[in-house]
Order: sequence, then C-alpha cells, then structure tokens
Amino acid sequence: MTTLLITGGRVLDPASGFDQIADVAIADGRVVEIGPDLARQPAVRVIDATGMIVCPGLIDPHVHLREPGQEHKETIQTGSLAAIAGGFTTVCCMPNTTPAIDSPEIVRFIADRARAEARCRVFAVAAATRGRQGIEPTELRLLAKAGAVAFSDDGDVVASAGMMLGVMREIAPLGLCFMQHCQEPTLTRGATMHAGDVSTRLGLIGWPRVAEELIIERDVRLVAESGCRYHVQHLSSGGSVEIVRQARAAGLPVTAEASPHHLLLTHEAVAVGPASSRCENHRHLEDGTAKAHRLEASATSAHRLEAGATGYNTSAKMNPPLREQSDIDAIRAGVADGTITVLATDHAPHTPDEKAQPFEDAPFGIIGLETALPLYAEALVHSGAIDWPRLLALLTIEPARLCNLDRARKQNDGLGELFAGGPADITIIDPDAEWTIAEDTLAGKSVNTPFLGRTVRGRAVATIVGGEVVMERDRTVHALPSE
Amino acid sequence: MIGRAKESATMRPQPGPSADLVRSLLALAETDAARIRRLLARARELRPAALGQAPPLDLLQGKTVATAFFEPSTRTRTSFALAAQRMGAAVADLSIGGSSLAKGESVRDTALTLQAMGVHAIVVRGKQSGIAQLVHDTVACTVINAGDGRHEHPTQGLLDLATIAEAFGRDDSFDLAGLRVAIVGDVVSSRVARSAIAGLTKLGASVVLVGPPRLAPKGLTCLRPPDAPDAATLAVEHDLDMVLPEMDAVMMLRIQFERHSSETPGHGNALPPERGQNKIGPIASVRAYREHCGLTAERAANMKPGAVVLHPGPMNRSVEIDSTVADSNAGPKSLILQQVAWGVAVRAAVLAEYMGA
Repeated sequence: MTTLLITGGRVLDPASGFDQIADVAIADGRVVEIGPDLARQPAVRVIDATGMIVCPGLIDPHVHLREPGQEHKETIQTGSLAAIAGGFTTVCCMPNTTPAIDSPEIVRFIADRARAEARCRVFAVAAATRGRQGIEPTELRLLAKAGAVAFSDDGDVVASAGMMLGVMREIAPLGLCFMQHCQEPTLTRGATMHAGDVSTRLGLIGWPRVAEELIIERDVRLVAESGCRYHVQHLSSGGSVEIVRQARAAGLPVTAEASPHHLLLTHEAVAVGPASSRCENHRHLEDGTAKAHRLEASATSAHRLEAGATGYNTSAKMNPPLREQSDIDAIRAGVADGTITVLATDHAPHTPDEKAQPFEDAPFGIIGLETALPLYAEALVHSGAIDWPRLLALLTIEPARLCNLDRARKQNDGLGELFAGGPADITIIDPDAEWTIAEDTLAGKSVNTPFLGRTVRGRAVATIVGGEVVMERDRTVHALPSE
Repeated sequence: MIGRAKESATMRPQPGPSADLVRSLLALAETDAARIRRLLARARELRPAALGQAPPLDLLQGKTVATAFFEPSTRTRTSFALAAQRMGAAVADLSIGGSSLAKGESVRDTALTLQAMGVHAIVVRGKQSGIAQLVHDTVACTVINAGDGRHEHPTQGLLDLATIAEAFGRDDSFDLAGLRVAIVGDVVSSRVARSAIAGLTKLGASVVLVGPPRLAPKGLTCLRPPDAPDAATLAVEHDLDMVLPEMDAVMMLRIQFERHSSETPGHGNALPPERGQNKIGPIASVRAYREHCGLTAERAANMKPGAVVLHPGPMNRSVEIDSTVADSNAGPKSLILQQVAWGVAVRAAVLAEYMGA
C-alpha cells in the first residue's frame, strides 16, 4: 500500500522534463508512480501540495560538516538538520576536517556516522593529497572504492602543477571528478577580502580575481592533457566564468558551481555595519547594562553609517571573497547560458566567538544550507535569469551527475531525479512563502551568515528522504486518517 | 573653497541631538571636517597644559584612560599617557608581555575586562585593521584608535594637520585649501597615510601619493573621501623627482617592514634594514627603495622655498630620509619634533572631546 501520497503539486523533474500538476505515490522508500489522480489509491498519509512545487530532493555538492575534529562548529548530525531545513536531501562534505578525509577509513567513518545520525544522505569528497598538503597524493583508487564521490583539497588549492597533473591522471580512469578550490597562493598571502576599493579603504590585503582565474586557466590545460573531469568550486570572478565558458565550448569535461553569496552580495558587505552577528554576540550578556550599551552602540553605528562607516563585518568574510556587481552579473549570466551548471552553498559553520575576532583573524566562511533556496530564487528566478525548472536542475540532476549519484551510474538508486522505482527523495517547495532569515530559523549549530534579517521568498516546506518525511512545516502538511 | 568645505560639512545630514553619541574616534575617514577643525582648535587651546608649559588641567578629573596596545609602541603610548595625565585623568597601562593576551585571551574579552574595571576610555592599538572598531563594538565607553593595522591612525593624522596648519599660518581657520602635500613611501601599508589623506583633503589640501607601483598603486585614489571639497584632489605618482618641486609639504613614511606578508620569508619577522641586505618586503634593496622614495639631501634641494618635511617616526635614517634633511632647519624645514609636540596636544583634545569634557 502507498505509505505516502503527495497530491496536487506541480511535479517538476528537470531530468525528464516532466512538469505538470500531478500526484506522487511512495511506498517502501521509493517512488511508485507519478501521475494524475492517484488520490483514489488508499494511502497511509497524504500531503496536499496544491500550489507547491514537488521536485527531486535538492543536492548540495559542497558543504563543510566539520566532523571529525571540529564538532564545536557543526557535526554530521547538525549539518544534516540544516540541510533538511533547507530542502536538501543529499549533501557532499568536503575533506578539510581534522584529520582530513584522506584515507578510506575516514571515508567509511563519515558513512558510518551518517548512517547513524544524519537525517539526509551524506557523501564524502576525499582529499586528493595527504592532509590536503599538496605534497603527496592520497590512495585515490581505494578512496573511490570506499565511497568517495569526488576528490578535492577544498579550502586549499592543489598549488603544484606537477602534483595536479599527476592526480588528474590518476583520477581520470576512476570516472570521478576533481573539484578545485581555485586560488593561486602566492597572489593571496595575507589576503582577507576582494582586492578593490573597499579593501584599500579598510586597510585589508586584497585577494585579486586573477588568483582564481590563473588556476582555472592552468587547470583547463591540465584537463586537456589528462582527460580528468574537472569542477571549479564556488567561482567568484567574472573572468572565471569566461574561462569555463571557453573550456566547455572546446568540449573539455569542465563544470563550475556558484554559491548564493557570490550571486547576491558584493565586497561592500564587508564595510557595512553594524554586523548583526556581532550584535548578537552580546546575547550572553542579557542584563540591563548590556542592553543599554547595545542600544547605544547601534545608535552610534547608525550615525556612523551615514558618515560612511567601516564595518569589518566578519559574516561577510569568505573564501573566495565577495567581489563586485560586474562579477555578480557575469556569474548570473553564466548560469543563464549554461556555463555554470551546479549551485553549491559552501556551507561553512563557525562559532560566534570565532567570528567575533578581529576581521583579519576571523575564519573564512558562512553557513548556507537553510537559506540557499530562496537566495538562489532571488538571484536567478526572480531576476529573470532562469526559470524554476532550470533552477531545480542546477540543484538536483546536475549535482547528481557531478558526483556520480545519478541514475546513469546508480540505476534504481539514482538521485536527483524522480522516477518510478527510484528513491523517494523529494522536496516540496512553496515558491511564494515569504519569510525573514533569523537565528531561530537556522537549524544547524552555527549562525554565521550575512543574510540575517533579510526577507526572502520561497521555502522548502517538506523534505522527504527515502520516503520518510524528515522535515515538514505545519501550514502545508496535513496528515489524513489512514484507511 | 573655504565656503565650499564648510557648506559640504553643514549639508551633511546631521544626527542632531544624537551627535553626542559619537563616543569614539576610529577613523578620520569617518570624521567630518567640522569636527576635525573643532579638535584642532581644542588642541591649540590645550597645548600649553598638554606639553607641561602651563599647569595641568582637571578636565578629566576622576576619569581613567586605559592604553591597550596589542602591538608594540613607545612614542604613541607615552604621548597618550602624558596627554591624559596632564588633563587630570589617571592612566592604566595594559602591558603586552604581562597581559592575558599572551595567555590567549580574545580582544573582546580584554576589552570587556577593562570595561568591567571601570575605565572611561580605551586607547587601542593592534596589528589587525579594524581592531579599534571591534573594541568599540564590544564596550560602551570611549574608544580611541591609536593605530589599527593598515587602516587608520587618526591622532597621527590630526597631529600632521595641526603641524602643517601651524607651519603655513592656517591655525586659525584650519583651512588648508591650496596646499599641496606629498605622502611618500609605503603608502599601501600605512595607516598614517590613510588618516592623513582623509584629514588633509577634508580640510582642502590636495595630496599626491608617491612610491613604486607596489607601494603606491593607482587604486589608492579611492581613498579620497566623498565629503572632501572638489578642489582637494588625490593623485598617485611614481616619480618623486617630478613631484617634489611642486609640493608645499612632504610627509615621508616609514617603510613597514612588519606589514608586508607577501614575498617576505615570514609574516612579522622581517629584519630591520641593513646595508647590503638584498630584499626589503616588496623592494629589491635599500638603495632601490631610496631611489623611489628616499628624501635625500639632493632631492630636498629641489623643493620649493618654504616647503616643509614631516615624518611620523620612528625614522629609518638613511633609508627613507637622510639625516641632514631630518634634522634640517635650513632649506626645507623639518617639522618632525613639532609633530611630536602637537601629538600630545592633539591627544589631549581628542580625549577631552570624546570623553565629554
């Protein structure tokens, strides 16, 4: 018998092009049937999805879950809670943990922890070099056998061209992808934000676009040499988009991802004060004095804002950095013309104390899983760059293919696609839900985001993993009496 | 031009009564011309007492000023301490070696600790740009930026303004319209330069930044504040010989050995200059630096009659400035010791102004 029936939604499956009002019947963790009027079938539970989008579960191929070793920031469990709150049913975690995910044992540790504690599917991206040091390669073939879905030294670039080419040659026959964090290190020493007017005014060392573009240019040549599948992580520069466009036009197996912040914010966000997170860091001082002084502090900041306040907003510190409007425009255009085929949050949790340090000392990175969907919609759909079907392709079938999780590789266990017999990983989206991003809307362990206080449109209202409703928001989910 | 400058200052949206909420001095880029002039006038008024030439004042009687220097400094810290004491305040020094910072305490916790001890102002210096703002955001008392990384050193900027204004007889109006000032050397790493650029242009002077491209990149022109009068320009040049003859004042910067993280063997541990050393931060050698940025005796001879020379100290003699120029009273006049004297007066004025006395 059908255990779950989703009725009346706009069922949107980018992989097959299916896009119509239909019902989805689920049993034993798998999709049984997609079609009109399945409501006549008896079902244990019915979700009325009228007015909603029903699509394959969202996939984020680039998150930091901090486990093992940095569990004060996030764990596989809390990261998975953030994921399902945002509508993601699958995430791929990067290897910059402590120790790094650079051995088959740690890949299996991730899988074990995920099986025990995660509310969504979690796959490991393994380091390409030991300890992500760029000095000697990891056991690439064993890592692949252990279940790694891609390779990356994320957080660091593989700086040596010799090492990069060697690793690419090893990875190519495995059929997996190498994901590069593109940053020429000799051009970014000490850099903490985009090299431009704001860094000049704030007296911060700038991270120039060319540091990203140079690595992509180099790697495109190495891809041509090695045949390795290659993926540009979180590109931030308009120039990078053009390099990827040309590589793809030349038929090379090159893909690229964009992150919500690089689609919406510029380097000016670093200079904007007061940093809401920094105000929130006073939370533990909730006595009258602290409140009074916070009021005064914010009044002063408001005044100083008029006079062109500085800011040093560590919630806007990420790597690669926020750049300029021309870069945003180019990245959006790259999404629109198919140069950029994947969206990824780079979800990077850090504690308030870590982010409350002086800007230059604070760690890079912001969280993204809970807030990504409406931010993508704002940047790409509401702006007219692409439509919902294309947006969902960038969040489902495209990242599934990137990480070899799609039906072509996994047959009936293929992710990122809705098909009879396939896993019932489904996200139900209210594309019109308006909500304001606030700390209490965040499900993970950390709250480091520059989007606090932003009112957004669109939200996952239910997340279903393997047929189980792991997240649901009250207003749209109606349990009916079973037959 | 005077009219323009004042007009633009008064046209700025004023917060009215909430203006007294401005409790901290973090950057001259964020301080409007009217307030800068008020601070300079106050410094002129307080100068005799600040320098011990008149009896100490009791403006800050009963108040305590803490100096929290997360980065070594002798002259600035001493200058603040003397200014505070001569205005009647008690001074608490947070010394680096013995402080909790050495035990890993965060900047915020240090600031909160000082606040809990009941200090009325914190004078902060640190190697990170924005550290003064972080302290300001953390505490409710006055915070005075005594130099934050590469960002600003606003009291240094104010003392430069006072020194130049006095030298050119502008210390009634503190209007510097028509003056041309060169800032020479390691501009990109210099908090002194950022404060001077903001202050000089807001008061009407035109500024030329001079150095080799890596120390004075063209992009520095974005440092011109939007509220500076139109005639106060900011330009970048790479040829000191071409610029010098047109300048009324030239501010020599110290090469910031400790602030060039790229291309040096290690951050913060670059050695002081020695003859024959091959590399100074991004510059190939001492002689290469002198070629670009050194105020040699020969160059000084090409300066305008009546032109003046400033240096924020500490000087690297024979690197960025020749001793004959630094100590000169003939030819271009060296104002280096006048700067030091104005420093105490300016800091007395800043403490009085921002501590509400």
